Amino acid sequence: MSDVELQLCLALPTPDITKGFNSNNYHGLGFDHLKQTSCFGDRKKRDFEQALGNFSDECNAMPLLLWSGQPNEEDDNHKYRNKRTFTIDDMNDAEEDKVVGWPPIKSWRKRTCHHHHHHERAAGNGNGNGRSIYVKVKMEGVAIARKIDMRHYHSYQHLTNSLISIFTKNKKCDEHYNARYTLTYQDKEGDWLVAGDIPWNDFITTVQRLKILRLNLQTQPQTGPE
Amino acid sequence: MQKKMAYSFPDEVLEHVFSFIQSVKDRNAVSTVCKSWYEIERWCRRKVFIGNCYAVSPRMVINRFPEVRSIELKGKPHFADFNLVPDGWGGYVLPWIVEMAGAYPWLEEIRLKRMVVTDESLELIAKSFKNFKVLVLFSCEGFSTDGLAAIASGCKSLRELDLRESEVDDLSGHWLTHFPETCTSLVSLNISCLGSDEVSFSALERLVGRCPNLRSLRLNRAVTLDKIANILRSAPQLVDFGTGNYAAELRPDVLSNLVGAFSSCKELKSLSGFWDVVPAYLPALYSVCSRLTSLNLSYATIQSPEIIKLVSHCPSLQHLLVLDYIEDSGLEALASSCKDLQELRVFPSDPFGAELNVSLTEQGLVAVSLGCPKLQSVLYFCRRMTNAALVTIAQNCPNFTRFRLCIIEPKTADYLTLEPLDVGFGAIVEHCKDLKRLSLSGLLTDRVFEYIGTYAKKLEMLSVAFAGDSDLGLHHVLSGCESLRKLEIRDCPFGDKALLANAAKLETMRSLWMSSCTVSFGACKLLGQKMPRLNVEVIDEADPPDSRPESCPVDKLYVYRSVSGPRFDMPPFVWTMDEERKILH
Repeated sequence: MSDVELQLCLALPTPDITKGFNSNNYHGLGFDHLKQTSCFGDRKKRDFEQALGNFSDECNAMPLLLWSGQPNEEDDNHKYRNKRTFTIDDMNDAEEDKVVGWPPIKSWRKRTCHHHHHHERAAGNGNGNGRSIYVKVKMEGVAIARKIDMRHYHSYQHLTNSLISIFTKNKKCDEHYNARYTLTYQDKEGDWLVAGDIPWNDFITTVQRLKILRLNLQTQPQTGPE
Repeated sequence: MQKKMAYSFPDEVLEHVFSFIQSVKDRNAVSTVCKSWYEIERWCRRKVFIGNCYAVSPRMVINRFPEVRSIELKGKPHFADFNLVPDGWGGYVLPWIVEMAGAYPWLEEIRLKRMVVTDESLELIAKSFKNFKVLVLFSCEGFSTDGLAAIASGCKSLRELDLRESEVDDLSGHWLTHFPETCTSLVSLNISCLGSDEVSFSALERLVGRCPNLRSLRLNRAVTLDKIANILRSAPQLVDFGTGNYAAELRPDVLSNLVGAFSSCKELKSLSGFWDVVPAYLPALYSVCSRLTSLNLSYATIQSPEIIKLVSHCPSLQHLLVLDYIEDSGLEALASSCKDLQELRVFPSDPFGAELNVSLTEQGLVAVSLGCPKLQSVLYFCRRMTNAALVTIAQNCPNFTRFRLCIIEPKTADYLTLEPLDVGFGAIVEHCKDLKRLSLSGLLTDRVFEYIGTYAKKLEMLSVAFAGDSDLGLHHVLSGCESLRKLEIRDCPFGDKALLANAAKLETMRSLWMSSCTVSFGACKLLGQKMPRLNVEVIDEADPPDSRPESCPVDKLYVYRSVSGPRFDMPPFVWTMDEERKILH
């Protein structure tokens, strides 16, 4: 297969779309250090604790004019109330509810969700039995990760075209104008590699996660065929 | 002369007139006009609705209404759906079946919601009622396929068997073979809740084939895609169909078979099921889509582009249930394609995940509120909201009857202004004058309850979680909401004062649930003592409430009005007051 067909550089609509990189040059560049920064997750945690802090402050009972001679909330109640706080420690997918019955979803629906997530873990079932192969896709600079079913695609080109359309929907064009991207994946062994090297059918059985990385224009490789 | 005229109608005439009055509320009103109307009405009442099975005893119902043919009973409180009511709390139907077996030999219909139904109950139903036609078990549990086998074989004129959302001990798929070959009367069969165990598919196929009046068929997840075409071809008169598993390797012959099968169903108006959807098979539905009024995609893990494609083929859609994969873009498409939309429910695909996985925000709901003028009922799970959006939604949809918003993270503020969402929900209750049901979420102070008490005069059911500052909040609701029937509260700083000051209000309501609030055991005892027509149940799985000081808050409180006094089937972790004003369980 020619390099042109395996071109995995996801270019956003820019006036000067050029050819992609030779993906071979990116082997073993150590993508391990690229973790989710989870800054969005941290912010959520802070918001929640902040909100809870406000709640604790305001629970000193206001004098209720409607009732006379009634004691204010006792300390017992205070302690009791604080016991009821909870935190979401896990920044990863927390599948067990930390608070009973919240969010208010019926048990059998939770089971369907759980079933869906379970498929993600068991990715690599092969496409013979019709089971979904869910894989998370994260694009650098975009807060929202997506989950896609690898069975819906039949080639790298099909996949990258779809990803372009999914992710260009919510991008700020000025930020990513002139940007170029490459598609990387985490395989069964946990290594991060650039997508496109192995045959498609092998790829979908080994892929665990996908990540679309922005390419710094200064680091274009000098070597390698066009 | 005048007086004589009043009694000149023979009873039969009055009875005939009453037969046109079907609604329970109207029937109740008729019975209060005068003694003779009460008597006539009670003898010709055929349908009874009991919203709380512990509000009245079976014997009392039978004594008053001797000729009932249809009964509907509800058991556990709504929060049982979210595991807040411990197992074993109650809601057993057997005592009712036992009494009715003797008193109502001609009973035709039993509809139950959130009740514990045993195989013994089902066997008793099958044995006792010769003309039994309709069994609906909505969110019930406690029975197995053995009980279903008894129903199948025992009820010779069965028309409806609907197990929606129930938990069934799936011992064997062979219960379906217990429908005799002579059974041709089925109109509705809903087995969608059955586990993934094998369903005896050949028995199902034969059953469907010999029931020409079958209008509604909802299969379970075990039924695979390749089987659907045959089923549909043998029941082209179906109006409502729930697929099973909608996944298979893409094969042109399977697809074209499916296309043909769906297009033979000219009456199909409602679709559901769609577990494990393979999008390539969705076009098989296109021939049906133009007539579709109801679509449940809430198990379908397909992305927004595919949902949009499907929904844009459905201009007559009135009810849509979907996962948040639809995203704002999909809701915008929905708003422009489906102008008849009345009900929208958007469920979260990843409710416990800490990261966002879909782009579904308040914008989607705003778009639908703008584009769908007939929208009346909303259930929406999302992760962010603003007061401005809620105000806009309220102004766009003054006809809301049900508005349930669940912002997944508790106490989430307006993400733009960081203020509480009081004003937004206030706008909802102010503009939507016919609002009957409301669920709140997000950061809320006592102010939102002030709005609710002031404006929500038709509100019948209110659900509150992680909201409010003080008892004033609860007081606003109890003193202001004139039509309130059901109030359920969790994790709010509401305590004794509002409850005790509004004790009389509780007798006008069906029930009140409060968990993880600050109502003391002492207040519960006082309420139980002051109000003999209320059952005040304290639920605490940890310790007996009287092992702690009376000022300690109770874990869970369930208060409901009853004319039959405290119940006798309480488990050890439920306490209530007896006539001697002592604690009892």
